[in-house]
Amino acid sequence: MSKLQANISGIIKSSVIDGPGNRMVIFFQACNLNCLYCHNSHTIGLCNLCGICVDACPTNSLQIDTENKRILHQENTCMRCDSCIKSCPENSSPFYKKMSVEEIVSEIHKVRDFISGITVSGGEVMLQVDFLRLLFQTIKSDKELSHLSILIDSNGNIAQDKWDSILPFTDGVMLDLKAFSQENHKKITGYSNETILESIQYLDKRKKLKELRFVLVKGMNNHEDELRKVSQFMSSVSASVGKSIIKMRKHGIRDEYAFVEEPNADDMEMARNIFEESGLNVLMI
Amino acid sequence: MYIPLLPSFCLFLRHKMRKNISMEDFNKRAFQVITDGNLDYRQKKHHLAYIAESSQAYPEVSAEAKEALEKKIICDLFEGNAPYRPRYVLPDYALAMKNGIDYLELEAPKDFDEAINFLSILYVQVPSITGYSVYLGNIDQLLLDYVGDLSEEEIYKKMKLFWRFIDRTLPDAFVHINIGPEDNIIARVILRIERELKQVVPNLTLKYDPEISSDELLLEATKTVFEVAKPHIANHPMTAADFKGNYGVVSCYNSLPEGGGSHTLVRLNLKKICDLHQGDLQDFLSNTLKKYCIMTLDIIEARSKYLVETVNYYETDFLAKEGIISLENFSAMFGFYGLAECVNQLMKKSGSQSEYGKDEDANQLGHLILEEMKKIVDARELPYCEANEGKAFFHSQSGIDIDIEETAGARVPIGSEPDIYSHIQAVAPHHHLFTGGISDIFHFDDTIKRNPEAVLDIVKGAFKKGMRMFTFNLSDSEFIRITGYLVRRSDLKEFREEGSRYGSALFAANSMDNANVDCRVSKRVLSHEQVAGKY
Ligand code: SF4
Ligand code: SF4
Repeated sequence: MSKLQANISGIIKSSVIDGPGNRMVIFFQACNLNCLYCHNSHTIGLCNLCGICVDACPTNSLQIDTENKRILHQENTCMRCDSCIKSCPENSSPFYKKMSVEEIVSEIHKVRDFISGITVSGGEVMLQVDFLRLLFQTIKSDKELSHLSILIDSNGNIAQDKWDSILPFTDGVMLDLKAFSQENHKKITGYSNETILESIQYLDKRKKLKELRFVLVKGMNNHEDELRKVSQFMSSVSASVGKSIIKMRKHGIRDEYAFVEEPNADDMEMARNIFEESGLNVLMI
Repeated sequence: MYIPLLPSFCLFLRHKMRKNISMEDFNKRAFQVITDGNLDYRQKKHHLAYIAESSQAYPEVSAEAKEALEKKIICDLFEGNAPYRPRYVLPDYALAMKNGIDYLELEAPKDFDEAINFLSILYVQVPSITGYSVYLGNIDQLLLDYVGDLSEEEIYKKMKLFWRFIDRTLPDAFVHINIGPEDNIIARVILRIERELKQVVPNLTLKYDPEISSDELLLEATKTVFEVAKPHIANHPMTAADFKGNYGVVSCYNSLPEGGGSHTLVRLNLKKICDLHQGDLQDFLSNTLKKYCIMTLDIIEARSKYLVETVNYYETDFLAKEGIISLENFSAMFGFYGLAECVNQLMKKSGSQSEYGKDEDANQLGHLILEEMKKIVDARELPYCEANEGKAFFHSQSGIDIDIEETAGARVPIGSEPDIYSHIQAVAPHHHLFTGGISDIFHFDDTIKRNPEAVLDIVKGAFKKGMRMFTFNLSDSEFIRITGYLVRRSDLKEFREEGSRYGSALFAANSMDNANVDCRVSKRVLSHEQVAGKY
């Protein structure tokens, strides 16, 4: 048994929106971007045991377990008010768990007859690449699981050598592009995008890029000039890669970013037209 | 356009039907039907026949059984006092098409047009309780031999007219047709037509066999379900193994032998017998449940005997005379409903809060009750039930509109269904018991439309776990499944306001009012919020 553990923020046993077929989705904690519109901002950071959430909890359902360096959560008194998550200065949460490869594999076994595969998502899963490699190897060498496809949902902000270590066990990668120009990308995510653009091209070259999605945010990346650059870049990627424009939705975003605007139908239409002019056949989501 | 029955009037009719009626009553009710402006000619005739039938004495059963019928502890689903035709008739259409039918002066069809014409004529002759045939055959298998060198477009044109004929001539959602398990041009064309015409009739079942049916066919079927909430999907290898010859899925998901069927379907209300029960669980199983199962079997026997011995149906009807059906391919059906309420009540009595569908101990109790019933049904030798070795077919009855407090068959109550896997785990273990058919309904959020492959995964997984049949509803579909049959949301609205062409829309309107059928819980949204909160 390996000692490796990953920080897991959640598992969904049946998802129909994270790749083809019915899939089990495993969400990993921690991310190396900080998008304004992140719907799960409590999966961005790691817990440093500061205890602020413990004090914020109205039902005293949280406790610091100093010895094991974790927060204990008492489910039966918790009223799911999310005060703890909102109070966390680290964009983290007291709920994520450490899980071993064996524990995750045993969860997959429970639903193996009902799924086409698994998708690992986040947060940014590739930050825990050693764990992923072991998880994927274990799945591929298990007779009852080896038929399952393995997809990675990543932000692409990952160096090439990390991809190299995991691609042999991976069926495909789904990536988001947030902007083409550095300036816009920094505005939206806090970081530049060189590595992401390289990842997209590299994964495409290795025939592992399954899906490329552009998230449209009004006033941030929907200017004509930006859209032309994005569509040009996206059309340089193989035709077999599924491409889509996702409308940014405000649901679940942090209060301090309440100013970001959802694109309307006209904005979506304009983006679609520009993409189509570049010869792209995009799915609008 | 047909004019619908007014719900109040129809309920009046149904409640009055059990006892044989006085002459005065008879006259009054016949007059009411004759002068009712809301009934069309055909409906009047149907109701007059019903009133006439209720002038006859009920087949001989014990006083206790009669009382149970009165109180709806046992229910014969409005079959009438004097059964003069079987409830479910599944003609051997293939045989009829091979030999022709003397009575109807029909020769064996020689090409596609003749085959469709032949079937169209035969369909309207097949008796049932509603007056509309419950089974129109495994239609792709029936027609494939006649395709000749017709192109797909030619077949499409002919089938579309045929489908329109079926819907307009047999306007009842219990009218059921089957396709599969092989992938073939007729099945494909039918699915295409279904998506296009969006008719309620015929109800449709795809027989699915993972060894035979292609993924593409199942995918086509799934896309059709997204549009019109059918076909229903049957586990073909599992169901076929229960029958000596061919079988059909008919009416609201009864599986029965072709060339035969079922004389009658009598169902037991498990909630009601649980209400009456005084003692503990063991006492329920060994006394109350047993007593009422036997009573239900007595009624089944009396009704079957009446049909066979008094009416001589199987000696006089042309279908029987020409071998298109035969008595040895018939049996009777033992149905039940309200398992969920029965289990929950028994759990409560024993001091537990566990609920059927949600908690393992309650699910186990459900299985125990069903296994006990199955044993009782199988221990009873019934006359004229050769198709099932002298036993009744055990059937989880999918419910009708008057079931206000009871959940259909062995289903999990609407609105309390757990997640899809727990749902399957809860119900799959008892599906093998129901040779006479069972159906469960799963609910999906609309997002699944973008990913029909996900349905394939779930269908295959569910069948692997031993499910016999199931279907699914989308949260936002124009078509909704009410207990065992389909209606259009707009028809329901229209019916409430002014009425619908379909006889079954009345059933549905009552059902929608009586159960939460249109407020299902949607389970999965497009964003990943609350994921962490689950831990
Ligand atoms: S979850 Fe956040 S608030 Fe709570 S202890 Fe960890 S870092 Fe502090
Ligand atoms: S969600 Fe639960 S643990 Fe968090 S603050 Fe609210 S009650 Fe406390």
